[in-house]
Amino acid sequence: MPERTMEAPHGGTGSDAPSAATPPAAVGPELARDFRDVLPADLVITDEVGRRSYECDGLTGFRQVPALVVLPRDAEEVAACVRICARHGVPFVARGAGTGLSGGAMPVADGVVISVQKLRRILEIDVENRRAVLEPGVYNLEISKAAQPHGLYYAPDPSSQQVCTIGGNVAENSGGAHCLKYGFTTNHVLEMEVVLADGSVVTLGGPTGEQAGPDLRGLFIGSEGTLGICTRVTVRLLQTPETVRTVLADFPSIEAAGDTVGDIVDAAIIPAAVEMMDSLSMEASEAATGAGLTVDAPAALIIELDGPADEVEAEFEHLTAICERHGATRLHVPTEAEERQKVWKGRKAAFAAVGRISPDYIVQDGVVPRTRLAEVLTRIAEMGRDAGLRVANVFHAGDGNLHPLVLYSESAGEHDAAEKLSTDIAELCVELGGSLSGEHGIGTDKACSMPVMFSSDDLGVMHRVRLAFDPDSRCNPGKLFPTPRLCGERPGKYQPHPLEEAGVIERL
Amino acid sequence: MSTPRVETVTPTTVDDLRAAVLDRPGTIRLAGAGTAADWAGTPAPADTVLDLTGLSGIVTHNPGDMTVEVHAGTPFAQLQEELGEHHQRVAVDPARVAEGATLGGLFATADSGPRALQYGSLRDLVIGATIVLADGTVARSGGHVIKNVAGYDLTKVLHGAHGTLGVVARLVLRLHPTPQATVTVAVPCERSGSADLARRVADSPVEATAIQWHGSDQGDRLLVLVEGSESGADARARRLVDAVGGELLAPDDAGAAWEAHAASVRARPADRAVFRFGVIPSSLTGVLDGLEADTGGLTEVTTSPRTGVATVAVPADADVVAAAHRRVADAGGTSSLRQRPAGAELPAFGPAPPSAALLRAVATSLDPDQRLGRGRLAPWIPAPTGVSA
Ligand SMILES: Cc1cc2nc3c(=O)[nH]c(=O)nc-3n(C[C@H](O)[C@H](O)[C@H](O)COP(=O)(O)OP(=O)(O)OC[C@H]3O[C@@H](n4cnc5c(N)ncnc54)[C@H](O)[C@@H]3O)c2cc1C
Ligand SMILES: Cc1cc2nc3c(=O)[nH]c(=O)nc-3n(C[C@H](O)[C@H](O)[C@H](O)COP(=O)(O)OP(=O)(O)OC[C@H]3O[C@@H](n4cnc5c(N)ncnc54)[C@H](O)[C@@H]3O)c2cc1C
Repeated sequence: MPERTMEAPHGGTGSDAPSAATPPAAVGPELARDFRDVLPADLVITDEVGRRSYECDGLTGFRQVPALVVLPRDAEEVAACVRICARHGVPFVARGAGTGLSGGAMPVADGVVISVQKLRRILEIDVENRRAVLEPGVYNLEISKAAQPHGLYYAPDPSSQQVCTIGGNVAENSGGAHCLKYGFTTNHVLEMEVVLADGSVVTLGGPTGEQAGPDLRGLFIGSEGTLGICTRVTVRLLQTPETVRTVLADFPSIEAAGDTVGDIVDAAIIPAAVEMMDSLSMEASEAATGAGLTVDAPAALIIELDGPADEVEAEFEHLTAICERHGATRLHVPTEAEERQKVWKGRKAAFAAVGRISPDYIVQDGVVPRTRLAEVLTRIAEMGRDAGLRVANVFHAGDGNLHPLVLYSESAGEHDAAEKLSTDIAELCVELGGSLSGEHGIGTDKACSMPVMFSSDDLGVMHRVRLAFDPDSRCNPGKLFPTPRLCGERPGKYQPHPLEEAGVIERL
Repeated sequence: MSTPRVETVTPTTVDDLRAAVLDRPGTIRLAGAGTAADWAGTPAPADTVLDLTGLSGIVTHNPGDMTVEVHAGTPFAQLQEELGEHHQRVAVDPARVAEGATLGGLFATADSGPRALQYGSLRDLVIGATIVLADGTVARSGGHVIKNVAGYDLTKVLHGAHGTLGVVARLVLRLHPTPQATVTVAVPCERSGSADLARRVADSPVEATAIQWHGSDQGDRLLVLVEGSESGADARARRLVDAVGGELLAPDDAGAAWEAHAASVRARPADRAVFRFGVIPSSLTGVLDGLEADTGGLTEVTTSPRTGVATVAVPADADVVAAAHRRVADAGGTSSLRQRPAGAELPAFGPAPPSAALLRAVATSLDPDQRLGRGRLAPWIPAPTGVSA
């Protein structure tokens, strides 16, 4: 029997390894045989080369070859696979498209990867009720494509939307450029079917926002695959807005761009999106996409308004006036949808494009209160200078979500310095009253930083909930929670206790 | 009431709250303003009532970040008033706000009003929380920023927990700008035609903030709330009238119409119980017709045809209420019982879904002795038999 109380994190480092009482994972031929009883042989991958292609997600620095990979084709097969894992006491990791950027889908040693890539059917586009019912392996963009003929779309739009799955979005509570106005995955998922660690199947949420009893759906969303495997998702679809207006505005300084965002908020305008890029990221992106970015401008904003035509028009005028007041050096207003998409391509391709100006780079993801954007950028620039490394910045400025890209050269031996700088930046965000992650999740990458943001009591309560769902910690173990194995005996860094400090406001 | 004497403790700080939970042995009932005291399951007699109205006031408001941290016992109306000075608001509008409901009480009951169509409920606007568990553990989740995926979104499990699982001490909320103008269009309409009409409203570019059907003294009609800029909201409302008929209400009439709507939602009609449910919108008309037949007539009917949520009053009879829950469950929906006559023994929820086992496991992990809100989520979380904790 797992000892639940003993499992709670102590001293800021939570143990999330499969409990010691669980017999050592028996990954022998019997396991593969049991999977072949429920799946065709070619969907049970045991060979080294096949397994190796699942060794990491989008964060390639963390690798682990799994003992086995299975490719179930429907929800029943997923449940059957999970039950086999339960019977053998083996841990498992759900996997969507593997685009995650926090090592969330990295396999565990002696564990099974359960890929949902074959569960790719759009089960229903319900126009009358404005919702879509999806299998978890459906790509995010496919939802909007299927809804588009009906004048509907799915709002959350991660930059990776062509290649990431709705199941991965649910696990990460993914956001995107347009989440400032429309909210995140959690605001758009109504109902989910989930296979729990023991193989039982439950439905979380319901056909409406109306809840009878606690919101378990909301708890599951963003739990990074540690509470179960989602096998069906019902999402809300929104009506395509009447008008969309976009401006690409160059600014003489980062501060001027930041102040512009502040004034837009103060003017009670809620843009659908406000994105900022600095000159380094524009240089990279322009080289890759030719989107029309001004590479020598210190900063640019991409601002989009959508909604009823008259009001958008009036707000757009107001908006461009605010930009001009802050010394915008160029206002590019794409008129055709195609031109607009080109601008967005310049933004969305920024991560990958950085590969053109640096042999290696780390994508960071942190959040600060929007009013502290200028401050955090100044601090990041200083830290980069001290470390002797360049940092490019691309971010969702409207909600303070930064994506600093730390550029380095592996061959020049800069890896460790880059890694440290990147971690320091995420932890700086917490110091400024923000968060370790706005959308990429904690996964393996940031588990050891969790004590910077949360006290051991905070983490302990999360872990109690984890054990309620999964008493043996077999569901994506070692992620999200700091473990001694992963982090060493690093003492918890979280200092001010909320009660002693009369509230967390001091950290703002 | 024949309730045995219980001691009421009124903490004014989170520290006090924690001390009260640790110092008092036995079971505890959490009380806000008492506006939903008879919602959900009938609470088992508790040894202590924790009156949370002493834990009141804004902790910090950052207008530039559009966030606010608030003590859970703060009357919601008071919060809105203070935020209003900065032209900001929490974009929810449950009917019982006018009765003095607290933020924590609204959150714990997962309550929402007409604007849920556009903004959802408090669950969609809460970005962080401080909670106190029955063992005195103080835990925070989320934070002060709108976008944040670090750690579990623990706050969500207390949304709709009705005073079980943990005490909500503070919440951090995301704010929205107060719109310059709010205009209401009223379109006369029978309930049977409300689904079609509401769909036409939704399909138009009006972008309504709320669409509600209400049968009242003013007649049966669909109320459509349009919010936006001074000229924009007005123009959109006029376009809507051109498209579907009806009229723009004068400000006083609009206020009265929504007030009458809220009054129906929070009504306490004699010998009747208030039944709240949600089903997939296209099933709403059919389920309402069924309930109408089952119960011998619904009163105080308000419906949200585009979200599938409705509030109705039914006879305060255990069999009738149980049948109503079953009908909603058969349609794949969820239901719960709200106001009811004092002492009435009525089923609060429908048949337990498979996830009830999971809910019990979560409850056991957070409050193993069921000290908080015992009976509130029965029968999904049955009160323990035998001696009290
Ligand atoms: C270029 C690029 C741009 C990106 N831009 C954004 C962005 O703008 N916004 C954003 O939010 N993210 C972004 N991401 C990150 C990533 O795309 C998202 O986190 C995405 O949701 C991951 O989906 P996936 O299908 O690839 O999941 P995976 O990487 O396969 O898995 C991610 C996590 O989800 C779990 N998981 C997967 N499927 C399930 C399931 N069915 N049930 C339960 N758990 C499951 C896994 O165990 C893992 O912990 C970006 C990534 C890249 C590479
Ligand atoms: C002055 C006073 C004296 C009372 N005396 C007695 C008495 O003698 N005997 C007796 O049996 N009862 C007594 N009560 C309790 C009363 O009968 C109701 O049970 C109580 O007011 C319930 O209010 P409420 O919390 O439902 O109201 P709401 O504020 O509407 O709360 C609704 C629900 O939310 C929960 N809730 C409220 N705030 C929080 C929070 N911060 N965190 C988590 N959950 C929360 C509640 O438990 C309830 O389930 C008294 C209450 C008050 C205010």
